Amino acid sequence: MTSIVVLNSLLLFGSGLVLIGIVSSLVASRFGAPLLLVFLAIGMLAGVDGIGGIPFSDFRATYLVGSLSLAIILFDGGLRTRVSGVRGAVAPAAVLATVGVVITAGLTGLVAMLVLDLAPLEGLLVGSVVASTDAAAVFFLLRAGGLQLKRRVNAMLEVESATNDPAAVFLVVLLVQLIGAGGVSSTTEFVNLVLRQAIVGITAGVAGGFAITFAVNRITFPSGLHPLFVVAGAVTLYAMTALADGSGFLAVYIAGLIVGNRPVRAFAPILSFHNAATWLCQIVMFLMLGLLVTPADLLSHAIPALAIAIFLIFIGRPVAVWLCLTPFRFPVREKLFVSWVGLRGAVSIFLAAIPMLSQLPNAEVYFNVAFFVVLVSLLLQGWTVTSAARSTGVALADPAPEVSRVEIDLPGQLDYEMVGYPIVADSPVMGRGGLPPWARAVLIVRRNAVLTPEEAGALRVGDYGYFLAPPQRVNRLDRLFAPFEGHQGRASAGVFSFGPDVRLGELAATYGITVDDDVKDQTVGSLFIDTFEEGVREGDRIALGPVTLVARGVHDGVPHTISLILDSEDADVAVVVPTTAMERLMAALVARLTPLQARLADGTRRLTESLRGAVSRWRARL
Amino acid sequence: MALTDLLSPEAVLPALKVNGKKQALQELSAHAARLTGLDERDIFETLLQRERLGSTGIGDGIAIPHGKPAKIDRLFGLFARLERPIDFEALDGQPVDLIFLLLAPESAGADHLKALARVARILREPDVLERIRATRDPAALFAILTQAQAATQQPGD
Repeated sequence: MTSIVVLNSLLLFGSGLVLIGIVSSLVASRFGAPLLLVFLAIGMLAGVDGIGGIPFSDFRATYLVGSLSLAIILFDGGLRTRVSGVRGAVAPAAVLATVGVVITAGLTGLVAMLVLDLAPLEGLLVGSVVASTDAAAVFFLLRAGGLQLKRRVNAMLEVESATNDPAAVFLVVLLVQLIGAGGVSSTTEFVNLVLRQAIVGITAGVAGGFAITFAVNRITFPSGLHPLFVVAGAVTLYAMTALADGSGFLAVYIAGLIVGNRPVRAFAPILSFHNAATWLCQIVMFLMLGLLVTPADLLSHAIPALAIAIFLIFIGRPVAVWLCLTPFRFPVREKLFVSWVGLRGAVSIFLAAIPMLSQLPNAEVYFNVAFFVVLVSLLLQGWTVTSAARSTGVALADPAPEVSRVEIDLPGQLDYEMVGYPIVADSPVMGRGGLPPWARAVLIVRRNAVLTPEEAGALRVGDYGYFLAPPQRVNRLDRLFAPFEGHQGRASAGVFSFGPDVRLGELAATYGITVDDDVKDQTVGSLFIDTFEEGVREGDRIALGPVTLVARGVHDGVPHTISLILDSEDADVAVVVPTTAMERLMAALVARLTPLQARLADGTRRLTESLRGAVSRWRARL
Repeated sequence: MALTDLLSPEAVLPALKVNGKKQALQELSAHAARLTGLDERDIFETLLQRERLGSTGIGDGIAIPHGKPAKIDRLFGLFARLERPIDFEALDGQPVDLIFLLLAPESAGADHLKALARVARILREPDVLERIRATRDPAALFAILTQAQAATQQPGD
């Protein structure tokens, strides 16, 4: 009886923590705090030195849950990576994820060796543990900040953070084996080990990816089991590869890449299931890692750990980024940004648990140092990632449009996807009065009536339309159904217009703007087409140093005129003329409290946005 | 950025007589050369080069030709009201009757942009345009342009 009570309390406790974690996401995005840090903090609060006071030090369980979570997260990362969207970003990302990880690990390892007084291999182990970046953290923060990054930077960061996890895992597992075995017996053995991990990992990944795709498309499971089959397949692939001495993480990422880029039945439910699964994995993993750490021990390693964190953030990562990206002609500002978003996350802490499991000497030092580095990175970089994107000009002036799209799976159909959109006023589809030739209306819901497109005639505001479109073009539809914000609320001071063939270099020379050499010959038209790959919309903006370019006269996703907004110095200032005594009093007050008021307004806006975002995300998921 | 910093009372032409865009730019260059001591051809070439990227006609009968000729050492503005509206290849296709020429030194950078923005903003005020188009008196034009600038800095204007 008592044991059932214990188990039920355990259940209550665990689910309670997860619930708190989910609810706290609302608060976290309000403050722009890294969500993962919040999960970690909740775990720590519940843990041994916190209010929960729960002693948890089961490294085996942590490793089990951690590797399961990471396998699912990495598979999901592959699933979401569009090969066509990342062309041109793959090579730099791959270099950064391999050579970059080794450089970061090496440099940081050197510092760790010095400040922690370790042997070279042990130092390198510390460096490797903290060498990989955390994709989930970066992208959650950027989205929460309402930012859209330039395409190449975005794609590069996405691919890098997904592929550098396997690279770091790989290094750590290798070093743990080497240290455990008492050092390297020969260079050949070392190279053999590396090659075996990589080759087995890649082969298993490719084979597994095709196998999963084949099985999903051929076998008809009862509905609802497809996504589960895919997840189970991914985890099986991970475990099998790892047992065969291959890199399981590399394998699941590659398998995800294959599944995500081949026509797959029931892809929409698979993606949405993975979305939820990935969230759950992140939450559980971070809560567990928070529980695992003993804050008191953490503090005893604070000073060397801080030194390592500072070195990693300000020297290690930037040096690696510079060495890896310079050959690809990335502009300085983009390299600065990429350096700054080297956020560390769960992978590092998880990796630090491996030496613990293998019972290496100094294992608890590695663990606590890694934990501390992650904390510093999440706090320092996580909190400033939005402003870093804006100040380095990597962010676009306009975030992607937010539309509420409903996806419906068409069983047995790979060439078309069915999507539903509410028809809103001022959306391009209303403006141009029709659909592109590749999209077909299926049914229209008007008030309470369900109509065929013939019965419905032209779309009306307030309708809900369902359309068939090829899966790779669905994103383009988003733009058609998003409300057009255009130049609303923005005084367009001094608008000059240019044809799309004007080169950036010419504009730069005329207006004293600095642009990087590699884009000088690019035309403004192609800049828009490159930047907004889903099709340029009327009013899309690109910030170019002090000026802003606006797409005008857009036809079929191609702008015919580019307008130049010179500055926005008073664009956002709303002027209120006080007329009554009360208003005058208020105006005087407001004038006194302008800085505070601005902060408040900003806070309210962000709160509303995050709430709205959360609501629409929930809706989309339900 | 005050308009008085770049516009002097002599640099206001109340009734310039031209037949087309090219002639207008030529005449403006000549006047600018006289007032600044720069080479007329230099100015004209600079303006022409800028027009090749796209017309500086910003609509509603207004054009703001601009550029950075060599050897200029300060921001320089020149305003002309045309006797007869001319075609300026403006985006909205409307003939242009008000031209504000702005020249800037290579080093002006942000000041150049601010000055352009300021000029554009003033010339987009319907109220200002109405008053400008109602007079041929250079002193009055100068006053409207420079005061309009002061007025836009007051709330509620």
